[in-house]
Order: sequence, then structure tokens, then C-alpha cells
Amino acid sequence: MSKVLKVAWREYKSTVRTKGFVIGLVVAPVLMSASGIVMALTKDRIDTTDKTIAVIDRSGMLVEALCSAAERRNAATVFDEKNGEKVRPAYTIETVAPSETNPDAQRLVLSNRVRDRQLHAFLEIGPGVLHPRTDRESARILYYGENAAIDDVRGWLGGPLNETLRRLRLSDAGIADEAVPDLFDYISPEPHGLVSIDAETGEISAAERSNELGTILPPIAMLMLMFVMIMMGAVPQLNSVMEEKSQRIAEVMLGSVKPFEFMMGKLIGGVSVSLTAAIFYVALGTWAVRHYDVAQYVPFDVLPWFFVYLISAVFMVGALQAALGSACNDASEAQSLAFPAMLPVMIPMFVMMPVIMAPQSTFATSLSLFPLFTPFLMLLRQSSAVGVPVWQPWVGLAGVLVTTLLFVWVGGRVFRVGLLMQGTPPKFGNILRWAVRG
Amino acid sequence: MKTVVIDEVTKTFGTHTAVDGLSLEVPRGSVYGFIGPNGSGKTTTLRMIMNILYPDSGTIQVFGEQLVGACTDRIGYLPEERGLYKKMKVREVLEFYGGLKSGRDVRKEVGRWLERLDLLEWADKKVDVLSKGMSQKVQFIATVVSHPELVILDEPFTGLDPVNADVIREAVLSLREKGTTVILSTHDMGVAEKMCDFIFMIFRGKKVLDGTLAAIQDRYGSDTIRIRTENGASAFSGIDGVEKVNDFGQLQELRVTRDVDPQLVVSQIMARTRVSSFELTRPSLHDIFVRIAGPEAEESSDE
Repeated sequence: MSKVLKVAWREYKSTVRTKGFVIGLVVAPVLMSASGIVMALTKDRIDTTDKTIAVIDRSGMLVEALCSAAERRNAATVFDEKNGEKVRPAYTIETVAPSETNPDAQRLVLSNRVRDRQLHAFLEIGPGVLHPRTDRESARILYYGENAAIDDVRGWLGGPLNETLRRLRLSDAGIADEAVPDLFDYISPEPHGLVSIDAETGEISAAERSNELGTILPPIAMLMLMFVMIMMGAVPQLNSVMEEKSQRIAEVMLGSVKPFEFMMGKLIGGVSVSLTAAIFYVALGTWAVRHYDVAQYVPFDVLPWFFVYLISAVFMVGALQAALGSACNDASEAQSLAFPAMLPVMIPMFVMMPVIMAPQSTFATSLSLFPLFTPFLMLLRQSSAVGVPVWQPWVGLAGVLVTTLLFVWVGGRVFRVGLLMQGTPPKFGNILRWAVRG
Repeated sequence: MKTVVIDEVTKTFGTHTAVDGLSLEVPRGSVYGFIGPNGSGKTTTLRMIMNILYPDSGTIQVFGEQLVGACTDRIGYLPEERGLYKKMKVREVLEFYGGLKSGRDVRKEVGRWLERLDLLEWADKKVDVLSKGMSQKVQFIATVVSHPELVILDEPFTGLDPVNADVIREAVLSLREKGTTVILSTHDMGVAEKMCDFIFMIFRGKKVLDGTLAAIQDRYGSDTIRIRTENGASAFSGIDGVEKVNDFGQLQELRVTRDVDPQLVVSQIMARTRVSSFELTRPSLHDIFVRIAGPEAEESSDE
């Protein structure tokens, strides 16, 4: 076995034989599943305390409709039809006559009632709501509450208020009430994939209906898997190298291996750790999606790319981390470099959603062709339902490979000098000088 | 036959010259002692022999070859500070280091060395539970387990109690008997005097001593009187011909001024006080070291 492989084997063993690795490998999916289960179990856990909403209706047209709507809602949704259990709060509308003399004092009184928990909130409907385009100011509807911006009641009130206003406007226009439901019937476009020819039968196969979860979840899962694997295989290199330097292990090692061999051994060890965990998760995930019959949403054809990107990314990011680690003398210096060293991994996570929403956009394309981000963002785009032009992953991969070689080469130069440079702070100028001079 | 030949080697770090025009030859099968004050360039020289650091100028030949940019598997290196993976077990770390250096399975040798240095019961314990002395012994085994032809030991006796120091000393001498060349850096002048065939002293990056102990002492001649008196050190004040008094409590060492007859000095002392014993001798290595690197030398060099 060559020296590089011996170092790699030690690195690999020292990681995968720890309880932390084994527990982390098993616990991570368990925790993720558990969090999903907890979210599912708690999604219906809502406050069922009845809520009274005071309404000052300066238009004089809406408060009765609100009362009726509240009664209908209470009858339909407050109690579970099957077991009679209360599952939602009842809404009660309290009509308050508008004060013409001192509206501010009236608002204060109502606000204090909210503070005293006599009311949940109060609503003030402007006099001109029926024709808001005439005078916007008099057409405002104001909702006052302690948590008004994210209050469910506010959201519900919008429905019956606008429904009633539309009816009144249509009535003014001479349209009968009976025609209203048909006029406002809303038909949502159903999401479908594209029609294609069945490879086996040669016939046109119907497009499959898609859903938001099935569209967004697989790319995010791929990205998260890549992120976690890099966190396991590449990011720990910074602290690992710093410790080997500060504990003088590096000095002993350099008596047996060349600095570049030492670094390569560590990187190969890191890649092996990542691959071990990735294979475990991919196998587990494959079993799970087949078991739950959702395999059609998983882009299995992207998996080979995932592994190629993963190996390159661990080398690329690992070399960067190892080089920075070699420049550090203690844990506090390593801590100060940890954030900038993590940026190539973190930035793709920040831009994840815009890329998923528009994988073919110039923004998504250009970022995914930037070599440091390619393993994340190209993978994300490839995993999306839209996909990418065939040439882009290859161009991205070429960039990644060239950058990986560059990072490993430069990292090796910094590593060689930094590893024996005791007491010199890890300033950017020093690291740059070591990279240039070697 | 020379194992190491250093020729006009200079190494600088920024504006600091760590090693300045150093030349040295280490004969095969010898124990070569490196002495010198802290920061004088010993470790830098050892690292250059190991090819961990490269000289700015000059050449270093090891086993007759100039090994630039490559490590050598024929050299065992024990650094000044311990460098062991703390989470690994003792046996594992020794097999790893030995295998890395020799490229072969060293399990048997590891077992033998663990037994020899009385570490067998610690073989399956993690390194981080070892005492400083035990870690030192493990590091020593890691250095020699691959049967290197040249062994470089940087402060090998630091942190060892006398019993373990004897164990390591015996192991080093047995290596020499088998033909291994040993370069030994130490601050313990007693160790250097007793163990080393040759002694090399570096001071401020420059070689100031190089040769056998006898040859080095000969350069200074028999200018030292070791003496015990009833009145101790107070008996020597104002005596002509005494350049310096080293007071060890029960015993004093007097350095006699060049060209002064030591007999005259002794007779002056005997006239003052009762002398229990005295010996006319050459200066110890400790004294020579202090003469070169002590405050006295600093003052004279400043002048």
C-alpha cells in the first residue's frame, strides 16, 4: 500500500470507527424523520379558544354579512364531525356603533378590551369600501390586534368581506345573485409534466400530474445530501490539520511522507468517509422511496453526477480547508477562519430557492457554472423537473476538475509551508505568499 | 564513511538567520551530540537533515546522497515535542508510523519494543491516557521500530524519570552497537558527555564546538580546580589567578587565569583555610557551554 493510501486509510478508520460517526449516520435520518412526524402530528394543534372580534362598520353594509359568515363557519368547522371534538375556535362578531365624535377614543377603548382579553381583535371598515377606486382612503379596512400581521382571523375576515362587497357591486350592476357563484368559479390549472413517447411501446404516453412537493423536494434532498457529505468529508480538514500541526504530529508525519502525500492522504480519507455515508444514505433513500411508492419523483439518473460532483467537491473544498488549517496555530485561529472557509459551501444554500424556481434562468445557469458552486447548483438544476441542457453539466464538471486540480496544487504549497510555520498568524497575505512561493 | 555531510548550510526565516554557514560531518555508527542554547539552530539543523526544511544555501548529504524535496525512509526522527495521534491506541499508532516509514508489516517489531520498554500492558490503551514519560517511550519506539540507519533524537530524555531515561539510553546505545548512526540533541551536558562519541555545539546559528569530548576539553586545558574547603566559597575572595568561581555548595570549581600556575592558587587557598580535597582537571562540558553561551560570554561579545 502506498504512503498516500496508508495515510488515507488511517484517516478513514479514525473517522468511521468513532461512535460519533456511526451514531450520526443513523441518527441524522431518524432525526429528520422524527421532525417530519412531529410536524405532521402538530400541524392541527391550534388554539381552540373562542375569539370575539369587534367590528366598527362605517359603511353599514358588511357587519351583518360577517355575522352570518361567522355563524356558517362555526357550524361547519369548529367541531369534528366524527367525534364531536372541538378542533377550531368559534368566531363571534360583536357589532360596535361607530363613534362620530371621538373615533380615536373608541379605538383606545377597544384596544384596552383586547389587552384585557375581552376581545381577540377589532375591525374598522371605512365608509367607502363599496367603491374603493373613488376614494382609497375612505375604503380602507383596518384590523387591530396584538399579533395582527400573522393572525389567522385577519386572513379569514378578508374572504366574507370581499365576497359580500362583490355581491353588492354586481347587484349595483344589475346582475342577479344566482349568477354570482358561476361568475366567480375559479379553475386552477393542474400541473402536468410533458407528453412523451413511451420507449417500450412507441406510443404517446400521457403526461403525469406533478405536485409541488414532488417537484421541490428531490432537488432539495440532493442538495442537502451534498452539503452534509461535504460537511462530513471536507470541512473537518481545517480543524484536523490544525490539531496535527499544534500537536506536532505533522512534524513526525513529514519525517515519513512528503507534504503533498500527507495532504492527499487526508483528502482521500475524507472522500472515502463522504462516499461511505453517501452510499448508505442513497441506499436507504432508494429503499424508502420504493417502499412508499414515490420513486417516480426521484431523479435516479442524476445519481452518477452526484457521486462525481461529490468526489470533486470534497477534494476541492478539502484542499482549501487543509491549506487554511495548516496556517492556523490553535483552535481560536481555526475558528476565525471557519466562516470564510465555509462560504463556498454556504452560498449555494442561500440561493437554493431562486435556482429551484427558475433552473433555466441566467442567474441559475451562471452561478451553477461557477466551479465552486457547480457541485451544488448544477446538481440542484439537474435534479429539478426542468433539467438542464446536456452540455452544461459537462462544462460545469470540466470547470470543477480544473479548479480541483488548482486548489489541490495551491493547497499543497500552502500546506507544506504552513504546517511547520509555528507562531505565524494565518493572515491572508501570508497564505497568499506561501501559495505563490511554495 | 560519513552518514551526514553538511556543507556551508545557511537557513533564514525572514530576517532571522537560524543557521549560518554550517558545516558538519557525522560518521557512520557514531552517537553525535548536538548541544546549544534554546533558539541557537539545533532543531532547524535537524529538520534540514530530515528534509522537512530546505536550506537556503549549501548542501546536505545523507547516506552520500543529496535528498532535496524528498523524505527519507532510512531516517528515524523523534521531534522535541511529542507528535502522536491521541485517539489511537498505542499499538495502532506504532504500527501506523512503522508501516508508513518502512512500507512493511511491523507488528512483530512493535511487540518486541513494547515488551522491551515495559509498555505491553498499555498496548491497547489510547495514547491520550499515557503519562508524559510513557508517551515519550512510545514516540521513541515509533522512531526506531522501522530499523532506520540514522536516528535523529531531539531532546529524547525530556520528561523521563531516571529509570526510564536509563531504558532509553540503553536502547540508544544498543542501536549504535548494531551500526545505527544516532544524532542526539540535548540540554543535559551529562548525557552528552557520557553518551556521545562526538559533540557539536551551535550558538547563534554558528558552529562553535565540534569534536570528541576529549578534544574539546583539550582546547581549554587543565585550567579548573575542583576543591572542597572548610569555609566554602568565601575562602576564595581576593585570591590572585582565579578568573571565576562556580559554587555548587559542598564543592567549588575555580577557573584559573591563563598562564597562572594552579599550584600557586591552591597554595594561597591552603594558607587561608583547611582543604578537604582538590583536583586539577579540565573544564566540564557544562562549564564550556556556559563559557560560550552564558551571560559572561554575552557581555564579552557585546564589548
